[in-house]
Amino acid sequence: MVRSHAHIWFVAPAIFLMIVILLVPIGIAAVLSFTDYSLGNPGAEWVGLQNYERIFTRSTYEKMFIATFTYVGVVVPLTVGLGLGAALLIHSLNRFSDIYKTIYFLPVMAALLAMAIVWEFALHPTIGIVNSTLAQGCGTFLENWNWYARSCERTFPLWLTDKDYAIWTVAFIGVWQGFGFNMVLYLAGLTSIPRELYHAAEMDGARSAWDRFKLVTWPMLGPTTVFVVTISCIRSFQVFDTVEAFYPQGGGPSKSVYVMMFAIYEKAIQQNLMGIGAAITIIFLGFVMMLTLLQRWLVERRVHYA
Amino acid sequence: MTAMTHVRPLPRMEGTFRFSTTETIKHAVLILGAVIVLIPFYVMVSYSMKSPSEIMTNTGGLFGAQELFRDDFCVKLGNAAEDCMVRPLIYNYTTAFEKAPLLLYLLNGVIVTLSIFAIQIVVALPCAYALAKLRWWGREAVFALVLFCLLIPVHAIALPLYIMLSKVGLTNTYAALIIPWTISVFGIFLMRQFFMTVPDDLIDAARMDGMSEYSIIWNVMLPTAIPALLAFGIFSVVAHWNDYFWPRIVITGNRDLFTPPLGLREFKGDADGDNFGPMMATATIIVTPLIVAFLLAQRRFIEGITLTGMK
Repeated sequence: MVRSHAHIWFVAPAIFLMIVILLVPIGIAAVLSFTDYSLGNPGAEWVGLQNYERIFTRSTYEKMFIATFTYVGVVVPLTVGLGLGAALLIHSLNRFSDIYKTIYFLPVMAALLAMAIVWEFALHPTIGIVNSTLAQGCGTFLENWNWYARSCERTFPLWLTDKDYAIWTVAFIGVWQGFGFNMVLYLAGLTSIPRELYHAAEMDGARSAWDRFKLVTWPMLGPTTVFVVTISCIRSFQVFDTVEAFYPQGGGPSKSVYVMMFAIYEKAIQQNLMGIGAAITIIFLGFVMMLTLLQRWLVERRVHYA
Repeated sequence: MTAMTHVRPLPRMEGTFRFSTTETIKHAVLILGAVIVLIPFYVMVSYSMKSPSEIMTNTGGLFGAQELFRDDFCVKLGNAAEDCMVRPLIYNYTTAFEKAPLLLYLLNGVIVTLSIFAIQIVVALPCAYALAKLRWWGREAVFALVLFCLLIPVHAIALPLYIMLSKVGLTNTYAALIIPWTISVFGIFLMRQFFMTVPDDLIDAARMDGMSEYSIIWNVMLPTAIPALLAFGIFSVVAHWNDYFWPRIVITGNRDLFTPPLGLREFKGDADGDNFGPMMATATIIVTPLIVAFLLAQRRFIEGITLTGMK
């Protein structure tokens, strides 16, 4: 069984690249996060935990965490919920299910930056299609809704520049873009559920659709859900394109959309404050890696029990 | 039982009328969703065909009236007003290509995405083969390294990568756009899982025939892996054609290296009221290749994009 040492040549490039491109940068970020390094300066001062202290005490970074977690907190449940809902509806259709699948998947394929620019245009306060469509509803029954009546009297919201609406609007676009992806994952999960389980559940007295969902569909989709939630979290943590397209400077009205990726970009690339950027990077990595480990743990636990 | 197996999972036998009611409600909900999903696509395509005044007044339906309008920029250049009458559709799309070197941006996009995919394969395939089919000291450790690296999203470490690239003077080059993506840990993992399913007999037979390990990878393993590679290729190309964050960081001034999203962003930066039409045309041009490819080969695309779900 003595073989050539071919494997060395096969794995060496991959190992080298993994170390240089993925591991070394983490080390560099970790070290820099304790300094006040900036590009072009000959050296850097060791500042200890000062960068982290700033991140956890200054109000700018408080806004960063609020914006990031609001975004993730809105986008993850909605993309997962709508993805599951769409998948269940489409799966139960007799006809035309492929058309919906195609349409709902379109936003996943389109460059988010391009679509963000289009959305900005659609949401434009005077010439945008959204507000002009909403205005046509004025004078109808919709005015029974207080918010609608008030908007008709004055103006419909400045979706992207009003600090009460900005983060929700950006989150809406995140949902718009992401739920089709989850739908497809759930559809794959649904097709792999054995039919016999539904018959068995029916024999056990699960008469209503809701009972069958609770008894069979939802538990069987468990692994899919764990995965869908994790990947939605990781993707929404990384939101950048829409924020940069709408607010190239400053992160939105009163920094209400100042998400972490944008903060890294602004601090490190725009302002050349590498130390603080590196500290945000490390915190960010911490979140993302913890999420993935949690997912793996959940999946493995299931596997052991099954 | 066999007759039951082709029945949909939730068949309710309560008369045709009731059945079609629920079906209708489902369609109503799904159509409403589809309309919302399609709004921006409608806006994009429709406005790419409209004149500035139609855009400003929100008239003209889907295609615009396509009436001639005066191109003020052309008049400013000293031409007679009669010579400057243009059709909105033609004006928007020609301006998209003339105002910025859009063709060059598209070409850059193609070069970058294809190079990334090619290098990912060249790096990942041999590694996956060695992990799946060769026995050697340290294999488990390397696989553990792969599993650990799966945890790291490249976007998250963009900052240190940027510092490293600028230290070696590589920012504003094609290399900067490509290097961070040359290693796809996910590709290694995926290919390894795939190769595990390839029977050893196939490889042994190839060895008997005197093939080197090297040619086994490219002449035996590669052909068996085509479906998986195709799916992975779609995954990779879509991600990097649409990527905006990384190019934004490493390409700072040199317009010649702009990828399509960067070009569009630049366009938006200096767009005034008159240029919404051409801007939407640019957006349409950038989005269209992948959308068309997706519509032509939907199943493969969905497979490729959701590959990450097969772990």
